[in-house]
Amino acid sequence: MLRIKSLHLKDFGAFKGEQAFNLPDEEGVTVFYGENMRGKTTLLNAFRFALFGKIIGRGRRPVSFHDMINWEARAEGARSFEVRLQITHAGAEYRLTRTCRPKSGTDVPAGHDDYVADYYLERGGHILPAQQAALELERILPEQIARFFLFDGELLQEYEDLLHGDTDMGPKISQAIERILGLPTLTRSRDSLKAALDRAEARVALAAQGDQKTREFGNQLQSLVEEREVLTSDLFRHEKDLEALRAKKVAIEDDMRRRERMASLLDKRDRLAGEVAALEESVQKKKDAISKAMAPAWSALIRPQLAAAVTTHRTKEAELQSAVTRAQVLHSLAEGHDEACPTCLQVVSPEAQAKIRALLPQQGQGSREADQRELAGVRRRLDALEAQLAEANPEALRLLWTDLEARKRDIYAKTAEIEEIGKQLTGDAEDELKGLRREYDSVVRQIAALEEGVKATVGKLAANATYRENIQKRLDKLAGGQMEAERRRRDLASRLHDLFKESVDLYRDQLRHRVEADASKYFRKLTTEPDYASLRINDNYGLTIVHRDGSDIPVRSAGAEHVVALSLVAALQNNAQLRGPIVIDSPFGRLDGGHRSRIVEVLPEMADQVVLLVYEEELPPARARDALKGRLRSEWSLERQSARHTELVKR
Amino acid sequence: MAAEKTADKKTIGVTSANERVLAALASEGLFASEIEAAKFAMAHAIDSGVARGTTEGAGTKWNVGSVDSDGALKAVVEALFPDETQPYRLVEHLMNEGLRLFDKGDTLPPDVAGVLFATKAE
Repeated sequence: MLRIKSLHLKDFGAFKGEQAFNLPDEEGVTVFYGENMRGKTTLLNAFRFALFGKIIGRGRRPVSFHDMINWEARAEGARSFEVRLQITHAGAEYRLTRTCRPKSGTDVPAGHDDYVADYYLERGGHILPAQQAALELERILPEQIARFFLFDGELLQEYEDLLHGDTDMGPKISQAIERILGLPTLTRSRDSLKAALDRAEARVALAAQGDQKTREFGNQLQSLVEEREVLTSDLFRHEKDLEALRAKKVAIEDDMRRRERMASLLDKRDRLAGEVAALEESVQKKKDAISKAMAPAWSALIRPQLAAAVTTHRTKEAELQSAVTRAQVLHSLAEGHDEACPTCLQVVSPEAQAKIRALLPQQGQGSREADQRELAGVRRRLDALEAQLAEANPEALRLLWTDLEARKRDIYAKTAEIEEIGKQLTGDAEDELKGLRREYDSVVRQIAALEEGVKATVGKLAANATYRENIQKRLDKLAGGQMEAERRRRDLASRLHDLFKESVDLYRDQLRHRVEADASKYFRKLTTEPDYASLRINDNYGLTIVHRDGSDIPVRSAGAEHVVALSLVAALQNNAQLRGPIVIDSPFGRLDGGHRSRIVEVLPEMADQVVLLVYEEELPPARARDALKGRLRSEWSLERQSARHTELVKR
Repeated sequence: MAAEKTADKKTIGVTSANERVLAALASEGLFASEIEAAKFAMAHAIDSGVARGTTEGAGTKWNVGSVDSDGALKAVVEALFPDETQPYRLVEHLMNEGLRLFDKGDTLPPDVAGVLFATKAE
């Protein structure tokens, strides 16, 4: 059982100077209240730094040591920070001191790489040698399972990956879960026995080679054993490479997630650029259409004048037509071509004809022809005017131009947006992101290739095992003397290996059932939804909510996700080989008041020692006292002295 | 000289000062040719109430047959300017005056759409 006795800080983050707190010996909860930016996450990191020499920021990103020295102290000349953790474990008292200071030879440290973090571990007042200290620390709290003891809302979210078999984080967490549950003790025994079995088989082959009767089978077996060793070594190497690649993939995904905003800006910029290109193409087409339509634009521009001219010319045409017709009739009457007047239908007498003839010369033959010529000219112009009016279509042109202008405005707006995005993209963000994406694609391809390789090697190993088994059977029929002893050794190793292999599966199954039962128990205590009856565990320790009618709840909210994650952590604490304190930073996420109260009530059941880092609005002190009652052991405040200085004050 | 003045023109030209405006107008107005742009300039002059007259120093740019292959331009000018005896000389003048109106110095290119639709909106 690991217990924290005290934590001592020196110039660590917001905690200027030397500050410390003790945790009560009694089982229960200690609450630290602090508003945003006061140093709650820093306090969680103080435990991480002391135990593992690491400091983690938002997005699981490592924080530079350079930035962790208290800023005010640094301004006053401080160049280092220190965290000291006093703990008890398995009846012994330990004091772990980790100090971060500039590397020797670094006069003016400027970044993370300019620092080094050293530690020493005291047990019972005696400093342990470095190697032993490392082993002790690994035994006290292995880093791989730290996530179940030191966590925040962000870390809780990762448990969702356990539900999905296709993530790389899921298997990593599954391994950590099996580690805290103690499964590796059994799996390591199984693997040792597998190695013993392999050695026993090799000895059988060797013994068989020494006998005339069995030499041939012995040689074959020896070849197969050698082949198996090569294949096993290949498999081991491939799996190691695969693990490294998967870790790299997770790291790249993290990196990409951190640059999500940059990525989304780049995607948006590329999308806008594509839209601008399409618009430019459509603008060109529109310009071509306008170019064809602009030929009669001049007529459209003077359409009112053309229309007025048409009216004038129509009047003129009518006048001229009338004059020409009258002259024709008079001429016809004067010449006697018609006997009667076409208007009054009276017979035109010779006297009247003479009078008309007398009139005609005054008007003159030439005048009639001039009218006819003018009439023809008026009609020619009228035809031209009407043709131009028919062609002039200002509305059609307006539509074309308006559409063109709208597209140009669209291009302008999008181009301006692209420029704006360009301003937000910092430095080499684009190149870095493209590089990351290329690297990610490459890693995914390598993983796929390696997985194929692993599959093929596993197939070859299975075939090798079948061949070896056949030869073993034949050898068993012929065996005698030295062979017999080796065969018994091999059979014993084989049975032991089978036993442990089976026990691993059995134990894993039992653990899963225990975790499922405990997680369900905690879940029912934590959830405020009465229709949620239990949790169902999958092979990866992912938990699905089960409705009381027996059906799965396929989609769950962020709040429900949070409650499920806390249930899992509580269940793991309950079944862990290693028991210890839990330190939780802002564990309530987006949970409502009802859930918060329930979580606070359940906290003392999750671990003997709980350190809760919250802000007062998240968990009002009155509610904490009411929910925890006697199990609330102490309360502390993170009090602001300045923007860069927080003091730990006991309440 | 007097004979030249009484006979209508067989060619139409643009003054050297107006060449730059014509090129900008043809480009900005998306006209298929400078002839179409020049006709548009002519219409702008008519629309702006430019009085008849002649333009000196216009040189030779196009044959009237290229500008007015079907005689429609001539007919329209005759209709709008009755008693005009030298319609192509007037066409040349109006084209040059229209281009001059479009020439706002530094504010080239001309606002073709503005001219076209402002007029129509009235």
